[in-house]
Amino acid sequence: MRAFQIFRMRSRALLRRSEAEADLQRELDLHREQLRREAAAEGLPPAAAARAASLRFGSEAAAAEACRDARGVTWVNDFFRDIRLALRGMRRSPAFAVTAVLSLALGVGANAVVFGVFSALLLKPLPIAGADRVFFVNNGATQTSISFPAYREVRDRNAVFSSLFAYRLAPMALDQGGVSDREFGLLVTGNYWSALGLKPAAGRFFTPEEDQHPNASPYAVLSYQFWQSRFGGDPGVVGSTVRINGMAYTVTGIAPAGFHGTDTFYWSSIFLPMMMQPQIEGRSWLDNPNDFDAWMGGRLKPGVTVAAAEANLATIATQLARENKANEGLRFTLSPMGLAGALLRGPVRAFGTGVLLLALLVLLAACANLAALLSARALDRRQEMAVRLSLGAGRSRLVRQLLTEALVLAALGGAGGSLLAIGLLGALSHWRAPLDFPIHLDVNPDWRVFAFAWGITLVTAALCGAAPVRQAWKTSFAGGLKGGRALRLGRWTGRDLLLPLQLALCALLVSASLVAARGLTQALRAPLGMQPDGAAVIGYDLNLSGYSEAAAPALQQRLLDRVRGIPGVESAAFANSIPLSIDQSSTSVYREGTTDFRPRTSIRSVAYYEIGPGYLHVLGTRLLAGRGFTDHDDAAAPRVAVVNRRLAVLLTGSADAVGKRFLRGSHTEVEIVGVVEDGKYSTLTEAPRPAVFWPMAQEYNSTRVLIARSTRPPSDLALAMRDAAHDAAPRLAVYGVGSVRQQLGLVYLPMRAAVVALGAFGLLALMLSFTGIYGMAAYIVSRRVRDIAVRMALGARRAQVLRFLFARIGWLVACGAALGLAGGIAAAGILAGIVYGASPRDPELILGSVAAIALVALAAMAGPARRAIGTDPIRSLRQE
Amino acid sequence: MPKPADLLQGTLDLLILRTLAAGPLHGWGIAKRMLVVSGDVLSVGQGSLYPALHRLENQGWIRAEWRDSDLGRPAKFYALTADGRRQLERELKSWNRLAGAVQMVIDQA
Repeated sequence: MRAFQIFRMRSRALLRRSEAEADLQRELDLHREQLRREAAAEGLPPAAAARAASLRFGSEAAAAEACRDARGVTWVNDFFRDIRLALRGMRRSPAFAVTAVLSLALGVGANAVVFGVFSALLLKPLPIAGADRVFFVNNGATQTSISFPAYREVRDRNAVFSSLFAYRLAPMALDQGGVSDREFGLLVTGNYWSALGLKPAAGRFFTPEEDQHPNASPYAVLSYQFWQSRFGGDPGVVGSTVRINGMAYTVTGIAPAGFHGTDTFYWSSIFLPMMMQPQIEGRSWLDNPNDFDAWMGGRLKPGVTVAAAEANLATIATQLARENKANEGLRFTLSPMGLAGALLRGPVRAFGTGVLLLALLVLLAACANLAALLSARALDRRQEMAVRLSLGAGRSRLVRQLLTEALVLAALGGAGGSLLAIGLLGALSHWRAPLDFPIHLDVNPDWRVFAFAWGITLVTAALCGAAPVRQAWKTSFAGGLKGGRALRLGRWTGRDLLLPLQLALCALLVSASLVAARGLTQALRAPLGMQPDGAAVIGYDLNLSGYSEAAAPALQQRLLDRVRGIPGVESAAFANSIPLSIDQSSTSVYREGTTDFRPRTSIRSVAYYEIGPGYLHVLGTRLLAGRGFTDHDDAAAPRVAVVNRRLAVLLTGSADAVGKRFLRGSHTEVEIVGVVEDGKYSTLTEAPRPAVFWPMAQEYNSTRVLIARSTRPPSDLALAMRDAAHDAAPRLAVYGVGSVRQQLGLVYLPMRAAVVALGAFGLLALMLSFTGIYGMAAYIVSRRVRDIAVRMALGARRAQVLRFLFARIGWLVACGAALGLAGGIAAAGILAGIVYGASPRDPELILGSVAAIALVALAAMAGPARRAIGTDPIRSLRQE
Repeated sequence: MPKPADLLQGTLDLLILRTLAAGPLHGWGIAKRMLVVSGDVLSVGQGSLYPALHRLENQGWIRAEWRDSDLGRPAKFYALTADGRRQLERELKSWNRLAGAVQMVIDQA
């Protein structure tokens, strides 16, 4: 009750201030009136009575002020008054306000965007119950997958997971009304749903009992989004059948909204029981201990630590290796779910942290910029401060006002930055990578992003506000009042450090972004072991489209004939996949004469492709020795292979390997008929890797790409190829249509992201340096109008005036730039890991950074300089 | 250990609360009543009276209301709240203890 009364009274005092004031006035008036009446009653004449009353009454203003204080709302009122003052001050100097708010908004916005992406990828938990207890089980540092038989063993033997599931990313063909579309889904074991603790949005999930026997459980669960976009959210879909890869699947239920599988970047549309793997992928690896194709994850039992779980898994790995050679070298580690385990999480975190640090540097530069502006302004206002001090304002009151000003600026900057972040993150969420792969990023800002944005805004305000506050604190009455114009330019102060600091940060960012840009251009020119320009590709899957292995050769010939018939086509060939596209596989081979077949004696992680005749020519892969495949290298002919230079050296000790043999598996002997140049296979930054090419006729693979090269633009060619394929085989579901360059999009994606981010930061940095230098130069000119006028009146030449004004600022700029450049060169070393071909020792780059900073400095000083030499001495002097 | 100013202020609060215990009064009335009851000794100036009243109101110990008054126009009447009554008891107790202590020192030292 009392609390309520207090609240009512305080809020009235705040909200209905004028009414409260009038009340107070009336109350005090009444008292004075009574005093007057008393005096009159004592027999004084009216005028004397009034005077006596006033005397007895005392200072009404003091009493009223004391009453206001008693109400305990003064500081709130002061705060609002300070905000009004600050806004008025900003209106008076709009250039300052705009510069300050803009640089803050850019700094905060850049950080919020970067943090938003970082948070969406690494911090935001998956939309599942108890997400922190669900882990991805890596096999070693680089490999993520495990064989399905090994998964079964780990599932049954472990004592630490309440539920251990396996899954696999799987493209599939969904037939609807005679049209076949490729969709991306997941094959998941039946315990997937209960392990994740999910509740279906409609229907039910398939169960472990419905995931027992190969190809015996045609059940499907659709993602909520897919259900909405493809079936319009029709509840009748649950219980109905859909045709996937030509087989009828019963839709048992719909996954909850927002759930797209356990990897944040891969949005699965359809979930199928793992046992349907042979039907979906054409060849079964469910019982093959040598095929490492399953990903594994699970929910830890309550109370089990990660270390305990890894210890338990290590014991199991030892047992499994003893029981089967195929399981040698298993090494299980746990990673949080969401980014394909350690495979992506590590790089993403390293990259994200790096970019976040750069973003913080931008903010720091903006902060230094703002602090310099604010303290320059505070110097301007020394007189005002001194006047207010001598009129009796408390120092703490002045400090409060200055802090409020910084806070208002920060709030505007923070709001601008948040808006920027909302816009950019929203755009990024809608952005679809130009890839034939469902990479979606849901980076819409959440509370974490806003908390972060406003957190850094507050810190910035405190940091930037500190400098002018310190000055205000030191302001002396006399010094401030008489020395309003005295600016001691000769002395170096801490404020002078702000400009070089800011410039150093900016130079660092500029050189880093130049390193990145240069890296990208080099990467685009890097030898790929093929000539992607001018070639186009379409993909399809014979199995998905319902063609048998027997029907393949005839279909293939038909397609080839059609495509070769397209005007302008010079050559065309088949393969299962092209290097650097998403679909990459690797295998192990053995040197000739190997008898002990185990992982240690093998040559591992050999990229392999199944290629048709003419492939090397179409893709522009240079043949170093021997020959490519011909139509005669078919199933009846001896086993042959083309290897790259690296594999040739690994197998035989020299690149001159034509005619030599090696082993594929324990008993298949293969002859090397050709050696080709090394290339890039999975990533652009990979170390030289061995690769082997098998003839397609000896190695059936239902996944195919058809590549053609022509004089036409490759995108046109790709469309023509799609139409040709449709004519030749209407049933064929064609995907991945585009230029070969487009297929390489994924490998360029991290680099493009790096270059875009760094480029944006470099640009921001240049803008910040511009505003920083401009602000300082303009300030110096405005403070020295009288000096300039005197010098010019005495006959100084313009060059002399300029030197007098800008020598010092030039020095500051040079120092800052040099410092930043050194930092930038150091940072380039770090960048080299992400951006292919980035090198810190690059003279053009250093020159470029210096030139960029110098140009910006000159441009920033040009305006103030023109104003300085355009000064009319007489007028300026008279103004004084 | 309260400073002398606090002591005086506390005392003024106590006197106001005690005066209002007899019934609602406006500021002028409170000052008059104190003056009369104390035998013209305690003359409270408006400079301390009104801030004290506002403070007490802010604490929730008294409550104010505009009403027609004996002064010929409406005045702001202050009345004790239930909280105020309890506060008065507390302050009376501590005052009595203090006064007794002071008396004892004067008598026996």
